[in-house]
Amino acid sequence: MTSLLRRRLVDILASLFAGAATVFGLTWLVWILWTTFAQGAAALSPALFTQMTPPPGSSGGLLNALYGSFVMVLLALVIGAPVGIAAGTYLAEHGRYSKLATTVSFLNDVLLSAPSIVIGLFAYELIVRPSGHFSGLAGAVALAIILLPIVVRTTAEALRLVPNSMREAAFALGLPASRVASHVIYKAALGGIVTGVLLGLARIAGETAPLLFTALNNQFWSADITQPLANVPVVIFQYAMSPYDEWHALAWAGALVLTVFVLGLNLAVRFVVRRGSR
Amino acid sequence: MIELADRRIDTVGAPALPKIDVRAVNFHYGKTHALKNVDLSVPANAVTAIIGPSGCGKSTLLRTINRIYELYPDQHATGEIAIDGSNILDPRYSLSTLRRRVGMVFQKPTPFATTIRKNVAFALSYYERLARAELSDRVEDALRQAALWDEVKHKLNDSALSLSGGQQQRLCIARTLAVRPEIILLDEPTSALDPISTAKIEELIHELRQRFTIVIVTHNMQQAARLSQRTAFFHLGELIEVGDTSQIFTNPHVKRTQDYITGRYG
Repeated sequence: MTSLLRRRLVDILASLFAGAATVFGLTWLVWILWTTFAQGAAALSPALFTQMTPPPGSSGGLLNALYGSFVMVLLALVIGAPVGIAAGTYLAEHGRYSKLATTVSFLNDVLLSAPSIVIGLFAYELIVRPSGHFSGLAGAVALAIILLPIVVRTTAEALRLVPNSMREAAFALGLPASRVASHVIYKAALGGIVTGVLLGLARIAGETAPLLFTALNNQFWSADITQPLANVPVVIFQYAMSPYDEWHALAWAGALVLTVFVLGLNLAVRFVVRRGSR
Repeated sequence: MIELADRRIDTVGAPALPKIDVRAVNFHYGKTHALKNVDLSVPANAVTAIIGPSGCGKSTLLRTINRIYELYPDQHATGEIAIDGSNILDPRYSLSTLRRRVGMVFQKPTPFATTIRKNVAFALSYYERLARAELSDRVEDALRQAALWDEVKHKLNDSALSLSGGQQQRLCIARTLAVRPEIILLDEPTSALDPISTAKIEELIHELRQRFTIVIVTHNMQQAARLSQRTAFFHLGELIEVGDTSQIFTNPHVKRTQDYITGRYG
């Protein structure tokens, strides 16, 4: 009887502790989201998407920053995703049994955990210094380098999940490896690969540090990727640090837009995963 | 057409020639010696069953006939496997040609993650340039041969993964038949299926044997007895005995075969 009582007591305590830990963890998340939504919503207006970033003391929007972020993220995707998918395919399919693949896989993990500011410095040395000025292109390259290892990892994992029996079945039909990969293996792993790309996208959308050394910022409208390009994270960074109330409001609005975008991507990932598992 | 006509003359001219002639084949993976000096001839247009306890090398033999083992770098086969007289283990023999002539169906159904139609049309449209109507005909033809047409004709664009296990396995057979092979290798094709699906597949194999050379690996001795004309018994990587199915099951010459068939081990 006492042992039963003891077990009940331990059970209640453990449940309480686990519950408290969950509440503790979630509090900050809810707090952050709540503040972002409350402050950001107050600053939301149509002008946000139609006007440029304003000089101190006047009102404006984030159009140039939103555009710059969109272009750089898209460009990073165009550069990083194909290379990442190809490398992931090598690791999981062609290089299955090679030492090189093991090495590449290890280096990829190192790159995955490299601080993003280091990658920003790398892009700075690679593009900004030789060209003599900051540019959107350099920003896109930095973001692509951050995206790359995420896509490599998730692609390789997704391909490894495709059962060998399916590979054998496709090869048993006499099809060449390229066709087996493109028509059978990729199709089976599509959900996982898309998930990886979307997760990578969500990650780079909010990166600030690598853009400080590369795209820098731009007060004005510019569509030229060889020139400094405005972007949401750096605008948030600069405006939040400023002493002007208008800028603070815009920073909050930018934070809200970015948060909603990343949240949307994560929801899209869940959707893809659920559809893929059916 | 010409190819088909030639083939008929071949079989008429030399009926005694085995379709597949396995000569002194040894197989290694890693340090395991999985097949030891195997000699086996497989007659055309008949079902040859390969039986034996787990790990005896029966699946391995099947996997050498279409060289699917080559996907794994630590697996090697030596010796000779002649199909219609030419040695397919020769590295110069084209894998694509070989695997088009020798189809294979695996233990677990392996439908591709696409529509029923595309599962069947996939390899076919790689080998032959076909007009859309002709492709549809060939898909229908293959599905009919695999006794699946009536169940799927109204939902060819549905995902193949929505089919039941037995239907998926017949889809895999249809996919194999679509490219018009000469030989079909079946690796325990019903071991993952329920009794009704198993009966359907067996009926199907029974019908297919008139037009194809079939080699089936099975754990199920009743299945071997029901389906095959020839039976080969393997044990520990060696071919112990091969003969007409009725002889193997009623009057085996080797003690080990008899012990296995009467259930003394395996």
